[in-house]
This record gives sequence, structure tokens and C-alpha cells, in this order.
Amino acid sequence: MKSIFILQLQRFRRKPLLVVSFFVLTLFFVFFLGGNDTGDKITIQSYAGDNTTQEQADYWIQLLNASESFEFVLVEEEEARNSIVQGDRNMALEIRDDDYRMLVAVDEQSYQIAANYIQQVFTEELRLAAAEAAVEEENIRAAIAEERISPVLALNMETINGESSGFVYDENLQALFGMTLFFSIYTIIFSLSNVAEEKRDGTWNRLIVSPLQKWQVYAGHVAYCFLVGYLQIILIFIFFKYMLGFQIEAHFGILMIIVACFTFTIVSVGMLLIGLVTSPQQLQAVIPITATAMAMLGGAFWPVEIVTNEVIVMLSKVMPMYYGMEALKGAALLNQSLGEITGALSILVLMGVITMGIGINLMERRA
Amino acid sequence: MLETEELSKAFKGKTVVEGVSLYLEKGESVGLLGPNGAGKSTTISMISSLMKPTSGEVLLHGENVIKNPGKIRKVLGVVPQDIALYQELTAYENLKFFGRIYGLKGQMLTEKIKEVFSLVGLTDRQGDILNTFSGGMKRRVNIAAALLHDPEILIMDEPTVGIDPQSRSYILDMIRELNLQKGITVLYTSHYMEEVERLCDRVYIMDHGKIISSGTKEELKSILSGEETILMELDRAYPEMEKEFQQLDSIRQVIETEKGLKLISVKGSRLLSSLFQIADRHEAQVTNVNIQEPSLEDVFLHLTGRKLRD
Repeated sequence: MKSIFILQLQRFRRKPLLVVSFFVLTLFFVFFLGGNDTGDKITIQSYAGDNTTQEQADYWIQLLNASESFEFVLVEEEEARNSIVQGDRNMALEIRDDDYRMLVAVDEQSYQIAANYIQQVFTEELRLAAAEAAVEEENIRAAIAEERISPVLALNMETINGESSGFVYDENLQALFGMTLFFSIYTIIFSLSNVAEEKRDGTWNRLIVSPLQKWQVYAGHVAYCFLVGYLQIILIFIFFKYMLGFQIEAHFGILMIIVACFTFTIVSVGMLLIGLVTSPQQLQAVIPITATAMAMLGGAFWPVEIVTNEVIVMLSKVMPMYYGMEALKGAALLNQSLGEITGALSILVLMGVITMGIGINLMERRA
Repeated sequence: MLETEELSKAFKGKTVVEGVSLYLEKGESVGLLGPNGAGKSTTISMISSLMKPTSGEVLLHGENVIKNPGKIRKVLGVVPQDIALYQELTAYENLKFFGRIYGLKGQMLTEKIKEVFSLVGLTDRQGDILNTFSGGMKRRVNIAAALLHDPEILIMDEPTVGIDPQSRSYILDMIRELNLQKGITVLYTSHYMEEVERLCDRVYIMDHGKIISSGTKEELKSILSGEETILMELDRAYPEMEKEFQQLDSIRQVIETEKGLKLISVKGSRLLSSLFQIADRHEAQVTNVNIQEPSLEDVFLHLTGRKLRD
């Protein structure tokens, strides 16, 4: 095993371009998708609708601006519309007396998140107003705020990972985790394609007729690919946390455990793919399809929480990416402990064991 | 020393090797001769434990090693038909890796690498990336990788495919030297009759997955002891003349060659005058005539009705 492992490292030393290019691509994508927005709020131009007074619009703007993610600015309707037409803004908000309307150019991720937030603010405020009118008590808002500190009933959301406080989103971390895991799939499975190449070139057979045990040959390759993928992810996390100041609150040890589980599963998925294809060329065609599908369905490009299609949500649950992202976001955003993310990690490892088993079995049958 | 008994292999119901029984005595050089697709590579894959036979046994010193291949793997050196090396590494790095997987390390590994590089004549190029080597040089490194652990038996699967005559000659001399001076037992498969004839003491001839004949070179050639081969070189093809040759009683077979015709005839039949008369009648220009003893190629032709490289 050690000989195979060292050999793969030697081969990497001679041909580092593939791994290095995916590392650089990850840095590039995370930097531009997440890094350029560090600390900035998304500005949403808003305007008062017909029959809405300036005071009413100001009141809603004040409520909406309690957000840490969005900044609502009151402008003229024409200006807001022009900004959308000219492509400067993606959306605008029309504020009405007790309602709102959104003008949307593209139905993309930030719109979904803004729409959720605006709906939440309007619903809450209208409920409060209705309650105020019903009990005719002036300080009901203060009373409710006080009750919220120690509520009679606490509503908690349960997810597969354990208890959480609901949908929390951080664009930087979404980009960091999503892009890093996405590109790591390429690195890992392309590195694993050494197995398919060795089978084509005949070196695999040469190893099989040597005194090495077959498991040692497999283990050497798996260990190498695991190391390459693992180091890529961890180095990128370190770079963005310590060099660019990304707010990864989780204990780094927990992140390392999550990354280890995810990397193991992707190596296993790679073994499954090698078992399914018949040539390195086929594998090279299958890798981008698999990586992109896993990333899109598993929530690497956008949070699965904003997806409404039930089929896609269901499919996301069979993607290792989903559990990797859930565990990373749980640890980094919700500060979940290792115990709280054990569920996601267990599923990841289980997926890894099953796909590895099937993959090796398929390869051996073909041998 | 090494023996197979009724070795057979079938893929998806199609039998590719059937009932192959052969043996190798210590220090022998044995050839496995046959055309492409005869089942040679499958046979040696089963002997070298790469592939499990559908039925039959592989015996090393009388012990069946199919279920326990570890024993045969230690004593075998396998030279595959492909150049099974890592092209992006240097020749030295390749040999170091293959030495390691056979348990060599430290000073012993370094010395063995030095020794085999000297043997294959590549000491000066050992630090070069394999990709920069010619086909013949890669073939030599391919052989060197199988020699590091001092194998008792060397199994070579067409080790000279696709290389220039000079490199081929070097490799054949090297194998003969390994066999004669170091006493390594060699099982050499090829569809090049002249290689087997030059290297091997005994020969198994395979076709369609079966051994159709075996023996020493002399024994095999004696199959055709009543025949002789006449090589007639012509300026061009003469189909009508060829037909007339075939009608002669003493002619057993007429085969077209690149330069003319190959006639298998009854030994001592004094055909030449008749042949020249027919050639004269067809106004054929005969540029050379050569009478030969039968070769293994002729034996194969006699046994199968086709040429080795068909």
C-alpha cells in the first residue's frame, strides 16, 4: 500500500497541473462569488406604491432595514424601474399600505432570499397590527417582545441533523463551502482516474501478479486520492478563514472531521464510477456530469432550503454534497457540535461504504 | 517445475483456451507459438495468476497454486505485451517502484537496479523520463522491471512487438543470456516463428485455444521430414503458372509470398527442371530459386493450413 501511495505522489510531482488547476479554480470562484461581498449588504431599491404615503413607506423601510443582509432604500418608482431595465438592479420593492409587490428581473438566489425575508417582515408586522387592533392595548408590542424572551411555547425546527434554529444563510460561506466541495469532486475523481489509466496501460495487471495483495493496491490509490482531496479542501478553508477573514465560527477540528467524511464518500463515488465505465475516456466524460449534478442538487451552488420542487428536494437527499454542506453549514453558521452533525456524517460514511463496496465489486467482476 | 493440466478458460460461454497441458523444466527455454488470437496471452495470464481458469490446474513444484497464488507470484517474472510502466517517471523510478513491491529495499534494491540496467544496456539513460525513450528502449525497461527480484521463471508475452530489428536482436540475445548463463526458466510467447526458433529448446504450437503440437524444434520439423520448401522469386505474379504448379503430383502446397512463390514439395522429387519448363512456357522471369529445410512456420502451415501471421 505504501509503495502504491508513494508512487502516486511521485506521479503527482511530475504532473501536478490537474490538481493545482482545480485548487486555483476553487480560490478564484470562492473569491469572486463570496469574497467580493464580504460584509456588504444587498441594496434593494424600494418605492411607495399608489395610495401609499411617504410616512407609511418610511415606516416599512425602517422595519425592513433591521436585516443584516439587506439594505432597503426609498427611491422614486421611475428610478427603481430604470435600474432594473438597465440591469443595474435585479429587483425592486413596491411598498403599499399593508402589502407589497416585487419587481423582478431574474428569479435567482438573492431574490428568493430577499422575498422570504420581506414576506416574513410584512406578515409579522401585520399580525402585530391586527393583534393591537383586537385588544386595543397600546403597549402590546412591548408585551410581545418581552414574552419572546421567555416564551410559553418554544417552536423549534427539527432537521435530520438535529435541532436547528431555522434557515440561516451566509453568502460567503455558501460560496466557500459549495465551490470548495464542488471542485474537490473534480480533483478527487480525476486523481482516481489513475486506476482506470493503469488498467488500460497494463500496469494494474503487473501489480496484480506481484506479491502485493489486491486490497493493498486499492488502498494505496484510495489513500492518495483521499489525501489530495482532503488537503485541497482544508487548505482552502484555512486560506479564506485566516487570510481573507471569512467568518467560519466552527471549531476547526470539527471541520476536519466533516471534510474527512465528505472526502471519503467522494473517493468512494469515484470508485463506483470507475467500476461503471469501461475506459478512462468514458470516465472523463462522466466526471463533469456527476460533479455538476451532485453540486446542483446537493446545494453547493444555492441553499437547498430555497428549492420548492419536491422531486429536487428529494433527490438532494441522496447526494453526498447535501450532507457535506449541511454538516459544514451546521458547524460554521449554527455552531453545532459534533454530536449535532453526527446524523449527516453517518449518512455520508454509509454512502461511502456502500458505493465503495459496489465500485470495487464491479471492477473485480470486469477483471 | 511448472506445469499446467487441462487448463481451460471460457468468457461468457465462449471457450478461448481448451485443455492446455504444458510443462517447463528448470533452466529450459520454452516457446508458445501461435497466431494472434490463438489463446497464448490467456494461457499465460492463467499461469501467472492474473486470471482464474474455468477448469484445470497450475502446478508449481507439484503444488496447485490457483487458490494460493502468492507462491507462484514470488518466483515469477512477468513481462507483459504492453509496456506496463509509468511513462511520466524516470526509468530508475519505475524500477525502484517495481523492486519495492517485490520487497526489495535499501542497498539491495539499489544494487539490483544497477545490475538490471547494465543487463538491458540502459545504465546511461536510467535518469531519463520514460516518455523520452524509443519503443525498443521502453521494451528493455519493461523486461528489466521483471528481473529485479531474480525470478526463477520468466514469462514473456510477445516482448518484442512493434520494435526495430536492432532492438529486437538485442532483446533476444539478452533473453538467451539470461536463460543460458543465469539458468532462468523462460516461457516465451510469440507469433514470430524466427524468435521462437532462435530462443527456445522446446515449442508448443497453439491455435484456436488448443495446443496442436509440441516438442523440440527438431521433433516438430520432423513432421515435415518428407518435404522440402522451394522458394521461387519472380518479377511479378503469374496466376496461370501457379495453377499449373499445383497440378504437379510432387507439389503439396503453393503459397504466394511477397517476392514470388513458396512451394512445399515431396523431398527429393527433382522438380526443378519441370518448374523451369513451366516458367519458360509462361515467359516468367525467375530471379532466384532456393531449396530450404522446413521451418517452424512450415510446420504451423502444415498443421493449420494457414500462416502464423494470418
